[in-house]
Amino acid sequence: MLRAALRSRPADSPVFLHKGETVRAGALTRTAAGGRVALRLDDPLALARAILALDGVAERVLLLPSLPDDIIAALMAQAGIDRLIRSESENIPGDGEVETDWILATSGTTGTPKLVRHSLASLTRLTRLAGPDRGGGPRWGLLYDLTRFAGLQVFLQALLGGTPLILTDGRDPLPQRVAELAAAGCTALSATPTLWRKLLMTPGAETLPLRQVTLGGEIVDSAILAALRERYPAARITHVYASTEAGAAFSVTDGAVGFPAFYLAEPPKGVALAIREGRLFVRNTLVDPAYLGGERRFADAQGYVDTGDSVILSGDRVYFAGREDGCINVGGNKVHPEEVEAVLLSHPQVALARVAARRNPITGQIVTADIVPATPPADPAALRKSIEAHCAGRLEPFKRPALIRLVEDLNIGASGKLARSGSGA
Amino acid sequence: MTPIRQTILATYAEVVESQSGARPAALPDDGAVLLESGLDSLGFAILVTRLEESFGFDPFVESSEAYYPVTFGDFIGFYEAHAAKRG
Repeated sequence: MLRAALRSRPADSPVFLHKGETVRAGALTRTAAGGRVALRLDDPLALARAILALDGVAERVLLLPSLPDDIIAALMAQAGIDRLIRSESENIPGDGEVETDWILATSGTTGTPKLVRHSLASLTRLTRLAGPDRGGGPRWGLLYDLTRFAGLQVFLQALLGGTPLILTDGRDPLPQRVAELAAAGCTALSATPTLWRKLLMTPGAETLPLRQVTLGGEIVDSAILAALRERYPAARITHVYASTEAGAAFSVTDGAVGFPAFYLAEPPKGVALAIREGRLFVRNTLVDPAYLGGERRFADAQGYVDTGDSVILSGDRVYFAGREDGCINVGGNKVHPEEVEAVLLSHPQVALARVAARRNPITGQIVTADIVPATPPADPAALRKSIEAHCAGRLEPFKRPALIRLVEDLNIGASGKLARSGSGA
Repeated sequence: MTPIRQTILATYAEVVESQSGARPAALPDDGAVLLESGLDSLGFAILVTRLEESFGFDPFVESSEAYYPVTFGDFIGFYEAHAAKRG
């Protein structure tokens, strides 16, 4: 499918733009070995070329983000992969015409990510829905990691739209990536709300001649939509709802947060949506309903996936209200309050701890903690510092409470469990 | 120096210290680009949260228009203007 799209282009048609280098269609005819292959490539151009070379040739391709070696080994075993490609030169010429399975890792919170099997059909469902006209000439820039669902969406959007894709390297600083996008004439860009907020605070981003602005991966608030409208008046602004498990579910282009309630009755592009027990369920029949290498299904018998996102139906609109499990989303990183509470409680001076989300204009949400000290502290500031230092050695930066409040008591429910109030989204 | 500026600079130094383990060698001047002034985006998220605790308001939420400051001076000015409006 991808190579067919490539063959339909003139040999001199630019496919990838990266740091001043232009890779044209005629230079991308090389094919790769078949079988079951894992890709762990940091260089975005090498990764993009490998994906193109393997589609339709390899039976199965596992896309690996940067992960520790032992986790990579475990994921390869789970997916039944026999070859790991770490540099582009490892490609061996081969041939074939198979329907390649694309295996993506969930961006999980802790431990080993889970694997979800996709096909090009499941990956491109929304790509075409939200996509510009073929040959209409948008220049997509890539800010996402190409091993992630959202990154692949942008890649396929450009490739199947017959337009060039500007690749940037996630290891470079953001101002440099923005300068590269501007130099290559980027007119279409997809990013999380957090990354868009950073872009709005990055000098040079105002020069991007954007005609398409796409947001996804976190809850979209009206402030970011308003700021993007003002910054890029010529752009169409789209927010998409997609996840590794649910696939590409729907997109919204009416400029408002949440999504229209009629989507519940009229499945957009055939992806049925339902609200059960206050949570959003998505039925995308093109995605495999179970994690690879395990028995655990994530879809029910009818094929509905519980997204875990709490939603509120209000009039003719459905709004997102955070995670059902109380999970806090700090700039796209998930934090389980229980994990942070456990660390806080391991401090000798902490008797009780409750972790909550607070909305934040930069990262969407942030972690805060209410602490009941074991004994009334003589020096509250010193105790807060000591708790901070305790967390710093035990939690990743985004999991550490941004604010520690010392309180006399916590509200404990009848069950004896901490009362958790809402999500603070 | 206004009390607002004073609190922002003191809280800035505190967040830098909690992130990097050391007090900043110098405070950023007004022309410094926010995301290059010693704090990453998570650092600024923390700064805004702590300032809300100190001031009792978050101008990013209360402001009617969406605003994303680029320089350190923009950031301080946004808080000062908002405090003046609140009276």
